[in-house]
Amino acid sequence: MSARPHADRRPNLFARLSLRQRFYVIAILLLLPAVGLRVFTAFYPFLQTAYLSFHRYNPAFDHGGPVFVGLGNFQRMSADPVVQASISFTLVFVLGATFFQLALGLAVAHLLNAAFRLRFLSRALVLIPWAIPMAVAALGFRWMFDDQFGMIPDLLRSLAGVEMRWLIDPNNAKLAVTSVAVWKSTPFVALVLLAGLQGIGRDLYEAARVDGANAWTSLFYITIPMLLPILITTGMFMIVWQLAVFDLPFLMTGGGPGYSTTVIAQKIYLESNSLNYGYAASISMALVGIVAVVGVVGLYLFRRFDVSM
Amino acid sequence: MKKVTHTQTVARGMTRRMFLKGTAGSIAAALAANVPNNFLTQGMFAPNLIRQNNTVVFAIQEFAQEAIQSVLPQFEADTGLTVQFEGGPVSGNDMLTRYSPAFASGTSPVDMFSDADDSSPTFMRAGWVMPLDEIIPQETWDDFPPSMQDHIRGFLSIDDVPYRIPHEFAVGYFFNRQDWLSERGLSVPTTWEEMVEVGKEVTDAENGVWATTDGLIKPALLYVYVAYLTAQAGGKVFEFDEGTAEALQFLYDMIHTHKIFPEEALNQDYTAQNNLYMGDKVWFMRQWPFFQGVAEDNEDWYAPEKMVISLPPAGPAGSKSWIGGWGFSVPTYAPNPDGARELIRYLTSKEVAPELAKQQGFLLTPRYSILEALADSGDELIAAMGMYADNDVFAPRAFHPRVAEAQTVVDDMASLFLTNQASLSEVLEQGKQLIAALDQ
Repeated sequence: MSARPHADRRPNLFARLSLRQRFYVIAILLLLPAVGLRVFTAFYPFLQTAYLSFHRYNPAFDHGGPVFVGLGNFQRMSADPVVQASISFTLVFVLGATFFQLALGLAVAHLLNAAFRLRFLSRALVLIPWAIPMAVAALGFRWMFDDQFGMIPDLLRSLAGVEMRWLIDPNNAKLAVTSVAVWKSTPFVALVLLAGLQGIGRDLYEAARVDGANAWTSLFYITIPMLLPILITTGMFMIVWQLAVFDLPFLMTGGGPGYSTTVIAQKIYLESNSLNYGYAASISMALVGIVAVVGVVGLYLFRRFDVSM
Repeated sequence: MKKVTHTQTVARGMTRRMFLKGTAGSIAAALAANVPNNFLTQGMFAPNLIRQNNTVVFAIQEFAQEAIQSVLPQFEADTGLTVQFEGGPVSGNDMLTRYSPAFASGTSPVDMFSDADDSSPTFMRAGWVMPLDEIIPQETWDDFPPSMQDHIRGFLSIDDVPYRIPHEFAVGYFFNRQDWLSERGLSVPTTWEEMVEVGKEVTDAENGVWATTDGLIKPALLYVYVAYLTAQAGGKVFEFDEGTAEALQFLYDMIHTHKIFPEEALNQDYTAQNNLYMGDKVWFMRQWPFFQGVAEDNEDWYAPEKMVISLPPAGPAGSKSWIGGWGFSVPTYAPNPDGARELIRYLTSKEVAPELAKQQGFLLTPRYSILEALADSGDELIAAMGMYADNDVFAPRAFHPRVAEAQTVVDDMASLFLTNQASLSEVLEQGKQLIAALDQ
């Protein structure tokens, strides 16, 4: 076997690249899987949704493919009572639930931060609601709020003499659904705030006490200002997270009575389940708009209070 | 401007512009590459790429699988095919949720499935299920009585071409506590007026005993009852006409005026409804045929006189109850269409259908062959089916091309009215507008 002359050997494509070019090729190849994942699971669906929101498309009826309708879907949304009611309830639900999650979470975090026996066990037990799957909690509370079989109306009746119809009264149903969301997620907020509380030095409180501060003034002048970055971050997270809530109200009330507890995500589900992809996409874009507004407010607050990102 | 050397660029990392250019170029190159056609048209995990063609995957609710399994040995011996079961969804909404994404992308996870009234029209119109006129022989179609022929033409076909063949005959039966009524010297109510009259006499709300109830939780269950009353009122529920108004008002009055129907039913499902009845809290109620089996399984409680089926109380249009039910379909993109055709022909044949009906109420229809085979069985549902047929009780199920959406509108409007969030005239007006919007 004769050896080929050294001069005939041609370097492969990669070997012909300069060091700098090789650096970029390797970098791009390594990044490609992650970028591809984001492109195909986030950017492409988003662009497709945006495209569909300007079209009427239901594969059962529009056999020719999507039909361009401009802002027609958005015009329809503005006159759709279910969409209006769902946006209204979603905002009330999200803001109400987040407020109480933060307030109660702060209170629970304080309790868990105190020194007492069985503190570690208490910290674990408090987390139980958060660990229960949302579907299980929703179905469980549907039974617990049931006016015939439920223990909550029964307890209120026998202990406090309160006669309330929960899931068949529009306002009480809203209250019940929001309460369950608060019950479910408060432990998570408490855990995050507990971490923040542990970062506040005891000397600050001691100095304040020397200056005559009581518990309330310490809370408002030390704890809350010191926790503000965490409170804002957690609050923004809970708002954005809960804007897309679906399972809790759907399984607990089916969106009723009427459509008083219908959330935006349920309306999107109903429309896409009926194959109204165009209309469902336009409602999704409205939800994106709401999330964007929340995001802008969040960014402003982050900058205002120097939250590091 | 300070010049950045190569070494500095490498040390600082890639610029954003370079990164974006490189990434975009790489993605374009990947897309332009020769991706196998199968992956593009059928998906990377398309079942037809990985499944042997001698298997037929059949999706039906799990409680019906045992009955079907019993007739399969003959089929498998004759054809050499193997039937593999999958648990099917339990409602039309679930059907749409589970299968639409696959069908829309030109694939199917199953070869044959049991489909519901509220999902089937959508699948048919989207072209996602096969026409059955040339798959099912004419003698099988002729085996269905005229009352079912109308249902097949309206709900299971487009332009008289059937896409689904019924295997279930769902009708709301009127169950009553004959034991209690006899004890009190009362008769089963035969009209709406009598229902109110008897209802007032027997309701004991303080002890949680009600004349009647139903499972009315959204989605879909409230629609079922409103459509039932609307059929008795002679109305067309999707038109929000006079009959619908009468039905809604009657239901409202039973709940709020006469207080013979618990308001709590608006947030209860069929499990709660059945538990109330079997907990001795309800005198009479409408319920689907499956309740017969549920009650019989409750051996500590069951007695025939607690479960007597009578004609539904007559409204202005008479004693009516709408019919519907599940049926078999074959997806257009079934991985094994030939096997599915063989299986659907076999299970619906005049020889096999009666065998299935003997074992499972979900596979029972009033086909001539089935009625003949079960004539002397003493089965309560067969007897009730005959009684309802003799008295012309069966009413066609209200049809709308977008039936699932139209039902949601009825659900919403009825719920608004029954929970005092809107007046009757408001919900009728809004209901008409929302139904009209569906037609646009």
